[in-house]
Amino acid sequence: MRRQARAKPTVLIVGNPNVGKSVLFHKLTGRYVTVSNYPGTTVEVSRGLMRYRGHEFVIIDSPGMYSLAPITDEERVARRILLSDRPALVLHVIDAKNLARMLPLTAQLIETGAPVVVVLNMMDELERAGLSIQVDALEQQLGVPVLPTVCLSGQGVDAVKELIYERLAAPLADLPARD
Amino acid sequence: MSVSPPPSPTYPPAIEPAVAQIGDLLRGDYALSPRTIALLLLQDDPEIWEEVQLQESASTLERIRILREELEKGGETPLAWQIEHQRQQWSQQIAAQVTQATKPPRPQTLADWIGWLCMNPWTGFPILALVLYFGLYQFVGVFGAGTVVGLIEENLFGEYINPFVENLTRSVIPWQPIQELLVGEYGVWTLGVTYAIALILPIVTFFFLVFAILEDTGYLPRLAMLIDRAFKALGLNGRAVIPIVLGFGCDTMATVVTRVLETRRERIITTLLLTLTIPCSAQLGVVLALLSAYPLGLAIWAGVIALVFLLSGWLAAQILPGRATPFYMEIPPMRLPSMTNVLLKTLARLQWYFMEVLPLFLIASVLIWVGQLTGLFDLALRALTPLAQLLNLPDQSSVAFLFGFFRRDYGAAGLYDLHEKGLLTGNDMVITAVVLTLFVPCVAQFLITIKERGWKTALAMFAIAMTVAFGIGFVLSRLLNALGVQVG
Repeated sequence: MRRQARAKPTVLIVGNPNVGKSVLFHKLTGRYVTVSNYPGTTVEVSRGLMRYRGHEFVIIDSPGMYSLAPITDEERVARRILLSDRPALVLHVIDAKNLARMLPLTAQLIETGAPVVVVLNMMDELERAGLSIQVDALEQQLGVPVLPTVCLSGQGVDAVKELIYERLAAPLADLPARD
Repeated sequence: MSVSPPPSPTYPPAIEPAVAQIGDLLRGDYALSPRTIALLLLQDDPEIWEEVQLQESASTLERIRILREELEKGGETPLAWQIEHQRQQWSQQIAAQVTQATKPPRPQTLADWIGWLCMNPWTGFPILALVLYFGLYQFVGVFGAGTVVGLIEENLFGEYINPFVENLTRSVIPWQPIQELLVGEYGVWTLGVTYAIALILPIVTFFFLVFAILEDTGYLPRLAMLIDRAFKALGLNGRAVIPIVLGFGCDTMATVVTRVLETRRERIITTLLLTLTIPCSAQLGVVLALLSAYPLGLAIWAGVIALVFLLSGWLAAQILPGRATPFYMEIPPMRLPSMTNVLLKTLARLQWYFMEVLPLFLIASVLIWVGQLTGLFDLALRALTPLAQLLNLPDQSSVAFLFGFFRRDYGAAGLYDLHEKGLLTGNDMVITAVVLTLFVPCVAQFLITIKERGWKTALAMFAIAMTVAFGIGFVLSRLLNALGVQVG
């Protein structure tokens, strides 16, 4: 098959520390990973395979970063992955409760020209804080897909998988071109 | 897709044309868009400059430099700040547009209250004391290091596995030195494997379990905030709480985890504090066993170690150039940890522990073997004996000090024997406990310090730990005498 010759598409998970990157990584790949809620544990980069609908995707979990202009070693590592692996898709995981503090990095990621998808995580905590976000309005403003999730419980993770598949595998499969 | 508002911020009028111009000048092949490269160049990002220097002509570089300098001169605030400010404004605008309040925020939940109590100094320190007592002392120390280790090491390994391996080795391999290397008193199996699996493994398992729970409940970030101010005086910030707390489990692992700190200076100070003052779970076990009969002695020991911790951190902060970095940490809400996550994390850390630390124990037993074969050990013992005498301790205690470096419980057992024979008084026990704690925790920690900090720093720390340990031991022994304090 043609597909086999091709390298597996790479998906990079980025975001501030403490937003659930590692949890998402774990849910997508089903592998061990150290998940933490303070900045710093993900110093080492985890890579794993996601299998979905007969396709395989490489998922990379990057160390927490606040900005594309790095200050800490972790941010430097995260940016280097973005530079060297040239991922086919960038999942920016953000904490829905702190949208205003998360969006500067979204802006920078979109600026890089990489294909960005925003994973709006911790929707349950947002709700508990007495807030809601209009996802389609946010999508319009940013011009990239926004997927609401609760990674800890797995809610919305299937939609993330489906989108990865649609973006990266569907165009390659021997299906009629979608328009 | 229909036309939407700009999907990323537009920067101030002075900056936008420069971004566009630099973007047009770039000819190289970059993973990031010309716009991003231009913005990072304006923010003077060293790594991006390096990349651009490789790909662009000298004249292009010169033009970018001039553009940047002009902009920097023209503005009142640094370019990086202006760019960041614009991004924040843009973000706040969008967030305000898409966020709605569904209902007034609930009155503070129980979790909020608990979280607040953990950070308030008046309640936070008592809570910390409770966490240390139940989580560390009772669960890891008494139950893990006492009960479980007793079962695994003494019963399982001591009575069944080790005699079997020993007999097998001695019957299969005829050469005595090789037998010694494998199953001798300090052999690869008897010391390395047994120690790592039967003694350290259960202790760190219990510790990692507690650590993962503290992490996942959101307690650790709160502890970091609570302690941040105190740590500033030591040239550190709240971030250092993570390796320091981890040090109570295993100093070796904690030394690796100093990687989370931002500057080399913080890493050195933290490594020094770990080497010198933080007792790992094995050390704690020894000290508690030695001093359990002497509450006053235990208090003196804790006081001296705390004092050395503060003094050495403060001194190191004065001597090493640089300043404490500002501390910024997000405080996640307090939540009940997911047990799967806690277990997975513990498992992942144990896996790491095996890969990184077990080999070091094997190296240690080979080192002891070589030391005994070549007589280097006798030399070291002779060098330590005057130091023991200086502390008014019996000569035999130097054996405990030396072996304590390789295997804590051997050191402890030796000391315990001395005490039983009536050679060590209560005061001697306190002094010994202080010296053992301040001394480099173990050979594995020393090896990992070499790996993480380099030869020079590691040797300097070894020398400092040695000097401070015996220096403080000396002062303490004179002081107890002069004050007429009799422990026990």
